[in-house]
Amino acid sequence: MLKIDHLTKRYGETLAVNDLDFEVKAGVVTGFLGPNGSGKSTTMRVIMGLDRPSSGRATINGQTYHQLKTPLREVGALLDAKALDPNRSARNHLRALALANRIPVSRVDEVLEFVGVASVANKKVGGFSLGMSQRLGIAGALLGDPGILLFDEPVNGLDPEGIRWIRDFFRSLAKEGRTVFVSSHLMSEMAVSADQIIVIGRGKFITAGTVDELTANAVGTVFVRSADHVRLSQVLTSAHATVEVLNENGLNVIGLNSEQVGEAAFAAGIVVHELTPQRASLEDVFMTLTADSLEYGHKNVEAHS
Amino acid sequence: MSTTPTLVDTTRAEFLKFRTVRATFIGLATLILLTIGLAVLITLVIKSNWSHRGPVERLAFDPVATSLVGVFFAQFAVGVMGARAITSEYASGAIRTTLAAVPRRVRLVVSKVIVLLVTFFIVSQIVVFAAFEIGQAIYKSGHLPSGTLSNSTDLRAVVMAGVYLTLLTLVGFGIGLILRTTSVTISVYVTVLLIIPIIVNFLPSSWQSHVSKYLPSNLGQAMTTPTSVSSNSFQWGTATIMLTIYTVIIVGIGTFLLTRRDA
Repeated sequence: MLKIDHLTKRYGETLAVNDLDFEVKAGVVTGFLGPNGSGKSTTMRVIMGLDRPSSGRATINGQTYHQLKTPLREVGALLDAKALDPNRSARNHLRALALANRIPVSRVDEVLEFVGVASVANKKVGGFSLGMSQRLGIAGALLGDPGILLFDEPVNGLDPEGIRWIRDFFRSLAKEGRTVFVSSHLMSEMAVSADQIIVIGRGKFITAGTVDELTANAVGTVFVRSADHVRLSQVLTSAHATVEVLNENGLNVIGLNSEQVGEAAFAAGIVVHELTPQRASLEDVFMTLTADSLEYGHKNVEAHS
Repeated sequence: MSTTPTLVDTTRAEFLKFRTVRATFIGLATLILLTIGLAVLITLVIKSNWSHRGPVERLAFDPVATSLVGVFFAQFAVGVMGARAITSEYASGAIRTTLAAVPRRVRLVVSKVIVLLVTFFIVSQIVVFAAFEIGQAIYKSGHLPSGTLSNSTDLRAVVMAGVYLTLLTLVGFGIGLILRTTSVTISVYVTVLLIIPIIVNFLPSSWQSHVSKYLPSNLGQAMTTPTSVSSNSFQWGTATIMLTIYTVIIVGIGTFLLTRRDA
């Protein structure tokens, strides 16, 4: 189990991670979502024992990374696919990792085969494309057959086929009971690949839940199409809704649910051709949540003045 | 099967990393060519020039030191290689992969030191012995005075030349651990070995005699000079211990910083 325990990390004056506190469950894919610079990579570096926390800690099955006897057998990570010596071959890169963790060297060819880079195993990794480096990084993460896997922005640089492959791969890892923790700044990607999502902004925890939970709490809109959309717009506005006029006689209604819109139209005798509740996308939720976190300080200033 | 890795496993991994990049072999080839090549060149020049030398010059002739003159140049090759053993990992970012695999950072440094120490001790010894033997053979062929390994002072000078190169490899590594960037590390290394002695030369002579014998380059000189030169330098044994202490301090500071820093 992966646990982030009141973790704070400062770089000089900059507060990169601010009192993060959460657990990542086994058996599901957990998305770690936040805008660029929100502290996702910092959190992952602390988990991997690369950066020292300013306070708090990250633990793997109750131990910090430094306490792990055979780290690669417990945690596998792909943090930066290009962080390799460009002059060494893929196979030798993995063989060194295997030796350092007493992993049988036969495992190297297995993982190279699995991620599909076996044909270039003896080539220098400096010549690899970003996609190939990503796959090699994944091979490195899988080398010790660990129960916990971390991936920092894994879909960057992958082609659509690679993205699909990696999604299925994360699912299968989770299905085997592993903890899969994947960061991304792309809400659309997390919506399809993660079961559970943790949202952070500016180093702070914002919210967590399943994709459905996160979108359910958000305010949806209603799309309504009518031949007399001008009058309908007036009627709805007088019912305290916010109305956006779209093309094709369509209106986007914010502030009323679909029943209320339908009843208002019926009462005014307006024919409605389409009435569709629009669920908020995870992207909308994300924008709203992170926008709030950005404005937080500003509101405080106003309250004091 | 025990699965807990030990220092042996880390060292095997580091040795694999060391021998799986071409730069290692280019560096070792440079070390060999500089030391042996210069020995051949210098001794041949001296041999052909011998008949023009006066009696005083002939008396001052040192067949051992002149055959080991390549060590002066090879010290830069070994320093760069020592530095790159760590700075190249910082340059590529591979240090993060390394530290994820070996979170015990002191153990990592010990493994890297073992790999450098063993490799450079062996290669340096082979190279300086070869340079010495080739140089002496050239002198003998011209009927010049020559040294021999059966003379314990000559033998010691040769062994110590190899020890000097080995220690300087680790000095380069230690500076690399502290500074992390290849170019800055090499600048500092060259400054210490080449620039500072020049600056010291411009000091008043009463200061010079106190300062200059502590410089690594002069310690090297004291280690490899068969005859005890002057009161302004240490005995070979003291010089060896001092340079070893320097090396331990530099690598020690670097290790301490590695354990404190974010990677």
